[in-house]
Amino acid sequence: MFEFLFQYPARIFAKGEFVFQSGLPVWILIAAIVLAAAGLLLLNVRSSGVGRVSRGRRVAIWALQTAMVSLLLVMLWQPGLRVSSLKPQQNVVAVLIDDSKSMAYQEDGKSRTDAARETLTAGLLDKLSDKFQVRLYSTGSGVSRIANVTQLTSAQPSTQLATSLKEAISEAATLPVGAIVLLSDGADNAGGIDLESMSDIRRQRIPIHTIGFGKEKFAKDAELTNVDLPARALNGARLAAQVTFRQRGYEKQKARLVVRSEGKVLASREVTLKNDDGTQTESVLFSPGTPGPRTIEFAVEGLAAEENQNNNGVRRLVTVESKKPRILYLEGEPRWDFKFLRRAIDDDASIELVSLLRTTQNRIYRQGVAGPKELENGFPGTPEELFAFQGLIIGGVEASYFTPAQQESIRLFADRRGGGVLFLGGRTGLADGGYNASQLAEILPVSLPDRKNTFKREPATIEVPQSGRESVLTRLDDSPARNAEKWKALPYLANYQEVGAAKPGALVLLDAIPTSKGRFPLLATQNFGRGRVGVFASGGTWRWRMLLDQRDTTHATFWQQLLRWQVGGTPDQVSASTPNQVLSDRKDVSLRADVRDKKYNPVSDAIVEARILAPDGSSTTVPLPLDPLAEGVYAFDWTADKPGSYLVEVSARRGQTDLGKDVFNFRREDGVAENFGIEQNRDLLTKLSEETGGTYYQPSNALKLAEEISFSEAGLTVRETRDLWSMPVIFFLLLALCAAEWLLRRRWGVV
Amino acid sequence: MRIRRLVAASAAAASLASVLFAFQFGRRGRFAEEDVPVPPDADEKTEWVFGRLRYSSFRGGSGSWGVRGSWSTDYPKAERQFVQGVRRLTRLHTRSMEQVVDLDSDEIFNWPWIYGVEVGHWDLSDAQAAKLREYLLRGGFLMVDDFHGSIEWEIFTASLSRVFPDRPVTDLTERDHIFHVLYDIDQKVQVPGIVMFYTGRTFEQDGVEPRWSAVTDDKGRVMVAICHNMDLGDSWEHADEPRYPEQYTSLGYRIGINYILYAMTH
Repeated sequence: MFEFLFQYPARIFAKGEFVFQSGLPVWILIAAIVLAAAGLLLLNVRSSGVGRVSRGRRVAIWALQTAMVSLLLVMLWQPGLRVSSLKPQQNVVAVLIDDSKSMAYQEDGKSRTDAARETLTAGLLDKLSDKFQVRLYSTGSGVSRIANVTQLTSAQPSTQLATSLKEAISEAATLPVGAIVLLSDGADNAGGIDLESMSDIRRQRIPIHTIGFGKEKFAKDAELTNVDLPARALNGARLAAQVTFRQRGYEKQKARLVVRSEGKVLASREVTLKNDDGTQTESVLFSPGTPGPRTIEFAVEGLAAEENQNNNGVRRLVTVESKKPRILYLEGEPRWDFKFLRRAIDDDASIELVSLLRTTQNRIYRQGVAGPKELENGFPGTPEELFAFQGLIIGGVEASYFTPAQQESIRLFADRRGGGVLFLGGRTGLADGGYNASQLAEILPVSLPDRKNTFKREPATIEVPQSGRESVLTRLDDSPARNAEKWKALPYLANYQEVGAAKPGALVLLDAIPTSKGRFPLLATQNFGRGRVGVFASGGTWRWRMLLDQRDTTHATFWQQLLRWQVGGTPDQVSASTPNQVLSDRKDVSLRADVRDKKYNPVSDAIVEARILAPDGSSTTVPLPLDPLAEGVYAFDWTADKPGSYLVEVSARRGQTDLGKDVFNFRREDGVAENFGIEQNRDLLTKLSEETGGTYYQPSNALKLAEEISFSEAGLTVRETRDLWSMPVIFFLLLALCAAEWLLRRRWGVV
Repeated sequence: MRIRRLVAASAAAASLASVLFAFQFGRRGRFAEEDVPVPPDADEKTEWVFGRLRYSSFRGGSGSWGVRGSWSTDYPKAERQFVQGVRRLTRLHTRSMEQVVDLDSDEIFNWPWIYGVEVGHWDLSDAQAAKLREYLLRGGFLMVDDFHGSIEWEIFTASLSRVFPDRPVTDLTERDHIFHVLYDIDQKVQVPGIVMFYTGRTFEQDGVEPRWSAVTDDKGRVMVAICHNMDLGDSWEHADEPRYPEQYTSLGYRIGINYILYAMTH
């Protein structure tokens, strides 16, 4: 309709410049309009016929006459639109066709690639060829020239539009490219087009026209979008994975979250799906298995009639470590919890507990030491000695037991060494031990009251606050509801200690509810520097062992989970990693190593090498240069040429001194990314075209593209002026003005 | 009729008197509880409490506390003197007053360390044996003492075998941790009871050789520490008796403290 009335597409009006072609000054036009209006006003006033009607009606008739005369005067000045258009047969139009796997998705009996072929061969390609030289490209993670559309295979493993467009522009840099036409579903695996890439593309001033394929919304689909999972786990540890997914069409229905490894189900959990189109995150606990690299598969299952079932699962890699972190436990006096905590860790193959117990005023009883010399003088006197441990538990020991240097070592143990420190409640612990006035108060996750007698040998029950319901530390049962009930049903604690509120950033995972009064944080944790600090304000969990059946594992489970948290993230002197352990249809892997000395100060003059063992057994050694922006960090981007599992061993030395080594795994997987986000991303395609001066089309109106594509400022263009006087809308407007005046005159009897 | 009533009343009075007598006096004489004052801090809430096991006596018939059995031998002076030593010699927060516990209720689970004396006279029912087994497997600790000779050993093990039919009694060696937790007890001697004053011998019945043995759990940790052919209770009770040799008291205290600390560390 627009084109019928205005003779040209709306796009021309948006791009063109309005001009008068008569050559006469515009002020004369304005003067002529004013004079005409004045003359008509005079005529209306003197006219005897018109003089019989009211003033308002006379003004209406005068206004219609003035509008008509003005319109005619404007036409005399020959209005036109000045636009740039591509010179016929002298410009190249690059047609990029998404050839990724998502284009093979079948909708309404045909694939998206078939639909793209049809769109091109149903006239669009011919029309474009009439005016331009057309170059066809298939695109995925890059572009490659094709002779015709039959060469499309829908086999490229990923879609990276920004990379493809930049490659296409680069390849055609010497050619007069007038426009780019992109046929795609917009399912970009790189997460869209970042601002920098968009800016680069826009700078080329080549309009990109997009034609979108595929449904914009599936009626029934669930998609697993992310899994948050630690990259490493201790042997025998339970891991909590945060699984994020979205769905449409299954609101309020039940589904199962399933965790598998090597075909074996590790965990399975029923979840109730929330609102359509909403993102939902659920936690699931599982044990990853025996030491070594473990591929863990997460899936949302049990949904009927899904339109895309290939996006329900993702894989992650977890390295189960065989080493046993060592925890030093200093206890100030014999306590039942000391015994039962030791027993709980005795049953845990993944942790080694070394304990120092002050049995008398002068005697320290050592357990779990590596030899007769270890800790023979009691608590470590130097940071190096303390930093040999991965975790530290401070039981009922008054703060003044430690020298200022030892207190600083404990602070640095968390802050710089990255270890886990756990403070226990007790007769001489926390506030009663003077920690509120010590330099260790800073690292505690709770504030401590400035008073004594906070330790109470009174019963207290336990509740799990909201903040503790998803924590792996407090999980006695996979069902949050049953978990909360289990905590409530536990035998009461033999004692508790009053502590203040949690500090900002700290999490209260358990509350103690004394039978007498009040509610106090029982278990609180926070990150401090590179490490973790926790407070467990009681020494009375032994009643869980003595009051529950001897086969009950609650006590052991709790302490094992708590202590694994303490040491699970403690790095060694050399700590190597990669941001993405699973490369989904990608080759580039970033290798990173954090290198420290025995005091865990960053080392910036080390020689760091990564030995990479490829899936075919070949090995490559690459040096990791120092990252100039991060102290003690060495990084290198490497290309994994083959799909499969890789093992990376990073070693560091300073001169002749070996600083240590670390091992991690990563895996390159192909053909995975295209299963996700396969609904047409119209927003991305529209934004891409709008930002570059192009237009988004649907296949149904794609033929218009052939006309509109000419108006471009890229390539070889010519400036031309299109007449506007011949627009039908002008004729209709004049007719309407005349008719309106005549009808009004008839009605008012002034004809 | 009147004579019959008189006879019946006399019989009832005699029965009552005999019960009261039996309750007041143990095997070795008068029950001394009233001679030992209750400490002023007897109600203090502490980490550790001396738990004294009250059990059914072999002579008294199973399941009856009415007839005073051997569980109360040396009670309460032995433990009240002993805990003063525990307080003085260790950092253990210790209650000055003992806690008497039995195997007929779940109260015993609140007291993870218990002491059984004269177990050569105990007679546990199946239910009591099951409760003791559960107590020990959960992590409780039992120290038994002051029983002598082969006959009392047989009686002791008869009940013990109902507690642990599948766990043997093993002899402790000098290398065992229990003898080194605090004190290194390398030279152990027989600790006699005060019967030594009268007999001049350190042993009773045919229990010439002291036997230090134990029942352990699956990880080799001592659950039941057995002190056979010795009387550590007397060494505690008579620590203030000038005639009682200091070396025995000293050893008795050391062993007792080691057993407590072992129970709280293993």
